[in-house]
Amino acid sequence: MKIDTGNSVPIIKMQGIVKEFPGVRALSDLTFDVYKGEIHCLVGENGAGKSTLMKILSGAYTPTAGSIIINGHEYRELTPALSRDLGIDIVYQENDLVPTMSAVENIFVGKEITKPGGFVDFKEMLARVRALMEKYEICIDPLQTIENMSVADQQFVKILKALMNESKLLIMDEPTSMFNEKDAGKVLKLVRNIADKGISIIYISHYLKEVLQIADRITVIRDGSVVRTYDNSSRNVSLNDITTDMVGRPVDMFYKKEPCTIGDIMFEVKGLQLSKDSPVINFNVRRGEILGIAGMIGSGRTEIVRAISGADSRYAGDIYLNGQKLRIRNPRDGIKAGIAHITEDRQRLGLMLNGSVLENTLLVGLPNIKSGLFYNYKNYTSDAQSIVERLKIKTHSLLQPVIYLSGGNQQKVVLGKWLYAKQSVYIFDEPTRGIDVSAKAEFYKQMSALTHAGNCIIMISSEMPELISMSDRVLVVRDGAIKCELTGEQINEQTIIKEALGVKDHG
Amino acid sequence: MDNKRLTLHKNHIFKDQRILLGLIIILMIAVVGIINPKFVRLTNITAILQQISVLGVLTMAMTMLLISGGIDLSIGSMMTLSAVVVGSIIMKGGNLFLAVLAGVGVSTLCGLFNGVIVAKSRCMPLIITLGTSQIFYGISLLIAGGSFINFQKRLDFMRKVQLLGFLPLMVIFMIAIVLIMYVLLNKTKFGRRIVAIGGNEKNAYLSGLNIDLYKIITYGISGVIVSIAGLIFAARLNAITANAGSGYELDALVAAVIGGVTFEGGRGTVLGAFLGCLLTGIISNALDILGVHAYVKIVITGAIIVGAVVLSNIENARKKQ
Repeated sequence: MKIDTGNSVPIIKMQGIVKEFPGVRALSDLTFDVYKGEIHCLVGENGAGKSTLMKILSGAYTPTAGSIIINGHEYRELTPALSRDLGIDIVYQENDLVPTMSAVENIFVGKEITKPGGFVDFKEMLARVRALMEKYEICIDPLQTIENMSVADQQFVKILKALMNESKLLIMDEPTSMFNEKDAGKVLKLVRNIADKGISIIYISHYLKEVLQIADRITVIRDGSVVRTYDNSSRNVSLNDITTDMVGRPVDMFYKKEPCTIGDIMFEVKGLQLSKDSPVINFNVRRGEILGIAGMIGSGRTEIVRAISGADSRYAGDIYLNGQKLRIRNPRDGIKAGIAHITEDRQRLGLMLNGSVLENTLLVGLPNIKSGLFYNYKNYTSDAQSIVERLKIKTHSLLQPVIYLSGGNQQKVVLGKWLYAKQSVYIFDEPTRGIDVSAKAEFYKQMSALTHAGNCIIMISSEMPELISMSDRVLVVRDGAIKCELTGEQINEQTIIKEALGVKDHG
Repeated sequence: MDNKRLTLHKNHIFKDQRILLGLIIILMIAVVGIINPKFVRLTNITAILQQISVLGVLTMAMTMLLISGGIDLSIGSMMTLSAVVVGSIIMKGGNLFLAVLAGVGVSTLCGLFNGVIVAKSRCMPLIITLGTSQIFYGISLLIAGGSFINFQKRLDFMRKVQLLGFLPLMVIFMIAIVLIMYVLLNKTKFGRRIVAIGGNEKNAYLSGLNIDLYKIITYGISGVIVSIAGLIFAARLNAITANAGSGYELDALVAAVIGGVTFEGGRGTVLGAFLGCLLTGIISNALDILGVHAYVKIVITGAIIVGAVVLSNIENARKKQ
């Protein structure tokens, strides 16, 4: 859609917005506007200030300075209720649904339809949800409870919830980050559909290809202010321009694994079964090798590595490191054996969020160096400092709680923790999900370095460029089983997707 | 409600706390009834229902608070305070109606007091209500002065008026509170909103709900319910001291948890909590009927409670983090 930014008035204009947190200036003098029916994409590294900006619009944060002009009225701050009354709705990245309630009820929290006497009218609510699903061609079971739904369906519930408000502006924060490509495509189609019906959309995403494909305008944010706003109405903005703006310098987006001599078999999994009836899994990784594991979300990739590192129990199977059989019953055994497991959910599984950078970094490694009853973390600050410098972790102090770091820096702390523990088998589960390009590059560099130092890596990933450029070999997992092994030229996007989806070639 | 039916898939049916508890209760009645037929006589069933009527009402208050993401450990002393207020007005020759009104009023104020502090201070309700429990107990002591408060049999109608010849008024009260709580939590806008707050407070806030107000009202309603428990309590004992109700808050908590209500909020059912309460009542009565020594009875009751909670949580225990 061609947006007439010259003549018409934006439905929302944010002017000179400043937001300060203790010790951090998240936004400085930021100006931003949105027109009716446009998809305005917001891109920037993690920590650039996109989420803060959106939380100001949704009323969750109060700006330190600046004004927000909506329908000609000027506001100093918004509250969640006011923001909603003004027709602004946000689909958060984090899960913000009530897990024990059905989709229908979640959609109507705070705006239940009632019969006289304060009784909730479930039938009417269900009917309206069904009507909305039909209008936007969304297909979910509205009566299912949220905790029994797939991640993709939960995302659709969130979008339905926003649409039910008849909002004028919909903010979507990384709506596709949890999806495989097929589901992401569905979401993108839905987003276009919504915009075509006259609802404006602010779309935040790290998937730049997606952004270029869908955006009418693109605004790049860096260090809390706007770098530039591109007009993408004829879909002609280049990926390079945007990434350069994002980091302030050109970045090599597709970092390649540095060539490394691949040695003998180092780590081997034989006859692994997760339960009695599940498929048998065998594979090995060589010294200096990165073994990629591809597969759709829900294909059982994560479950396989969790069973290897001891996070989940397994039904059968043996694990060998350097020819020695390992006895792994829980994560403690896994760590002792030399396995590092960088889990997919850093906030929930990878970090003590309220702990400092120092504590998080030393958590696993310190017991290996020092035994005894008492620890004084402060005696090891130089160790932690070297990790922070090595990984270029942006934090203003080692004592800073990691909850205040951006996603990319949090993920670096997770990696730092395992590097400090000096493990030999590194399992990465979606190592770069939701982190910015420069943090990604740092991750890839560290992975290369690890292989050079004679370790081996198992890497689960949904990101094709990462899988293709980093892996020496790729295993494709479908329905809990390894369906094929790809090497060399075979490692390409089409082959991987076909195998992951189980699509047969015709002719 | 349609969505309940959908979540109850075939393989989930034994994981549903209500069905599990129902089966345990039926089994217990059958076994104890065979050993001693007195157990299943109508008079004994009435006795069991009377015995659990105070706890049943308190469990409903606790259940509502837990589901909404809160907790109130002061309901034991709140109930006593309410009863002490009623009793002291009666002893001074006051009007029964006014006395009851005062009792309900005091308890409601206590609930609102808890609610305001919990909502506005954002402190843990567990600790706050542990503290206010002392305040209420102290006030009861100040009023009662350490001696017995006698209700002069003015509340006996609660026991003597019987529906169908076997359901005393106090049991009717309990059943009514259970039904009201079921409708409140499942069918009304207010109820669904407090369930949503308990299930995901951040989401409820972002959905534009006035969280503080709902919390305060929830604690207030709990206060009203607790005062009804206080009346039943007074009617059953006819004379009480200021510390008569201590420990009831934990019994109510245990009954609710046995019934599948969790500390995390948003989860649990009214029927489950009531069955949890019924189970504790049946166990206690059965042990009496079987002639178990009072001290042994305490040990067995504790063991059965631990067993029931562990059994109901067995799925979670198997899952590793």
